[in-house]
Amino acid sequence: MKGLAPLFLGIFGTLAFSWVGLTVIPNWQIGHLNPQTDEEGTDIYPMPQSGMVARGGRVYAANGCIYCHSQQVRADYAAADIERKWGDRRSAPRDYIFERPVFLGKMRMGQDLSNIGARAPTEQENAPPTGAASPAASPAAPSGAPARPGPKAPPTSPSPAAAANATPAASPSSAAGVPWPVQTSGEPPMYSAAWHHVHLYSPRSINVDSDMPSYRFLYQTRRITDAASVDALQLTGSDAPPKGWEVVPTFDAECLVAYLMSLNQSHPLKEVRSAAPAAPAQSPAAPSTSPAPAK
Amino acid sequence: MNATGIPLKEPSVSAAAGDAEQLERALIDASTRVPVLMFYTSAMAWLILGTLLAGFVSFKLHTPDLFSDISFLTWGRVRPAHMNVMVYGWASMAGMGTAIWLMARLCRTVLRYPLLLVAGGGFWNLGVLLGVGGILLGDSTGYQWLEFPRYAAIILFVAYTLVASWAVLMFRFRRGEQIYITQWYLLGAFLWFPWLYAAGQLMLFVVPVQGVLQAAVGWWYANNLLFLWFGAIGLGTAYYMIPKVIGRPVYSYHLAAIGFWSYALFSSWTGMQRLVDGPFPAWMITASIAATILTIIPVATVGLNHHMTMQGYFPLMRYSPTLRFTVFGAMSYTVFSLIGVLISLRSVARYVNFTQVSIAYSHLGLYAFFTMVIFGSMYYIVPRLIGREWRYASLIKLHFWASAYGIGLMTLMLLAGGFLQGANMENPSLVFSESTETILPYLRGRSLAGLLLTVSHFIFAYHFGLMLLGLGRQSTVPTFLNPVEAEGAEAHV
Repeated sequence: MKGLAPLFLGIFGTLAFSWVGLTVIPNWQIGHLNPQTDEEGTDIYPMPQSGMVARGGRVYAANGCIYCHSQQVRADYAAADIERKWGDRRSAPRDYIFERPVFLGKMRMGQDLSNIGARAPTEQENAPPTGAASPAASPAAPSGAPARPGPKAPPTSPSPAAAANATPAASPSSAAGVPWPVQTSGEPPMYSAAWHHVHLYSPRSINVDSDMPSYRFLYQTRRITDAASVDALQLTGSDAPPKGWEVVPTFDAECLVAYLMSLNQSHPLKEVRSAAPAAPAQSPAAPSTSPAPAK
Repeated sequence: MNATGIPLKEPSVSAAAGDAEQLERALIDASTRVPVLMFYTSAMAWLILGTLLAGFVSFKLHTPDLFSDISFLTWGRVRPAHMNVMVYGWASMAGMGTAIWLMARLCRTVLRYPLLLVAGGGFWNLGVLLGVGGILLGDSTGYQWLEFPRYAAIILFVAYTLVASWAVLMFRFRRGEQIYITQWYLLGAFLWFPWLYAAGQLMLFVVPVQGVLQAAVGWWYANNLLFLWFGAIGLGTAYYMIPKVIGRPVYSYHLAAIGFWSYALFSSWTGMQRLVDGPFPAWMITASIAATILTIIPVATVGLNHHMTMQGYFPLMRYSPTLRFTVFGAMSYTVFSLIGVLISLRSVARYVNFTQVSIAYSHLGLYAFFTMVIFGSMYYIVPRLIGREWRYASLIKLHFWASAYGIGLMTLMLLAGGFLQGANMENPSLVFSESTETILPYLRGRSLAGLLLTVSHFIFAYHFGLMLLGLGRQSTVPTFLNPVEAEGAEAHV
């Protein structure tokens, strides 16, 4: 090849073509979306993140959760994500307009988290029978996690027969004294703030098959001074702290759980067809009352 | 072909070209000694660190409870630390070292302003060190391939400006009208990288784009870094080393031009296929899938060109370390690209999109192709800088086989495991943890492969250290993998 000009122009031109085509034009197309509202201008979705949630997002980034967890639900014709009940509709660009960084993810060594907050139990359902515990500290995570000791949840899901027989009322009940509902294979799993804390602290105490590292450095083991903290983790077995000690979440852990509880794409979007008939979502009770997506 | 007629002995070949040319080459090589050795030495240090981190990452993936109460050793921090050490520490620095040497040789001019390069290399090391430290301390930005915190990214960019301005200066002072194929690729790489890096930083951190576009910009950057930075340096190096070692011109110049321009055009449009079925307009993903399929054109032309150049000379791989590594790398480029095409198809991507297959793909590109080509170039260049030959043929052989078997086993494990993982994930009647359980044996196999690679890197680092200390062989002939005299070469041709 002779002549420098064609070489330089070609080198410049090819990348300019790709840069404009794959980043600039998409930015014109979907780079300036607004939240969706209904006719009255209420029912705005999505909403900006609260401070604690934003900080939780940074904890999520710092500890590399994205290398194992995705946050995107693919359409029902493209993949089994909706059948796996990771969401009742596919994710759309509008779902992410307030997220920075955005954690779409490229790996699923763990479950998809797009709707993990939508799968949290509601207060009524999971209210502590004694009413002793106050709701968890995080305002973004309004879960009435009861601080009640009890035997550990069965780590594996019940047999298919048991799952088929399980009534909806049976599974979320706290009759066994577990601070989170027992997970059955027929039912979408339910994730409360207390569940998240125990799961982050000791994943294999909840699911023996879990491959998740534990994040103990986000928790503090301290001596109980006068009364046990309401935030203290309900740990059992070898994870439990010695008598007179308790394990409490650090602020980063609170933020991370607040962030996880905020992940919720269950609100219908006009541009996306929902698999299930549009549920009256958004009210806190919605996720658990909405019918399961048809198989 | 006769074994004694192997044109591997460069001195005897170039003696015919006259003493003046010999002297000129020696002068050019001497002028590049300090900066190139500095880049290589730093790269080796990063390679060893990255290898240790990789072993930790791989082991921890199937033993998750290891060191779980130490924040900076949590898997989600060590993994990006390993990735960034390898990409910015090892691959970029070794690639730049080779590119500097090639540029000086091909421009036929002594290296001017070596201090500019040494300063650039120093800043680059500082940037990587700060960046990796930042990631381990929990300062990661959370964008894949751009995890370095901003303070590190800025230093890296300054360092890069020094190196690239040097390369352009060098080009300005070149002698001779002809611009060789390798120079197209190297010039492309040196001009593409700053644009990619600046565009990535600007669109993610300075004037951030909204929502999902951040992921689009991220994958655009990552894929182009793989192709237009590492790929271009790797291909350019192969275009120099293969003809040089066998002493035969490139088969077709026109084929090379088609290969280069189709490569620049099509591979720069890939990237979005990694976001298949994600929350994006379908045209973006379709465009990238189409571009990925079209990369078959450059792969076929480059592969054909190298093959025709090598035709009849393949037995030389028995003797020349450089040729053996480079041809392995060039062949891996074909495999890497074809697997890239396969996994970009929507019907396949449905299964493999969120699995270990994408890790296999990155390792094929960055290791089996790029790193092997760079190893080959180091075996060629380092003796010319130091004036000594590699000391032990046996160590080179061990290095090659441990690397080749290591990366081969790793790729097989991750591909096979990834396909099973994906198939189980796509089967909603299985609980999710079934898919991660399935892959555990394969991940253990991957750790074994990683052990092989660790051995190979330590061997190479030891050998490289011997060379640095001036403990190489004093000889006029390069170190052959097998003794040339003892072979009845006709039997192998």
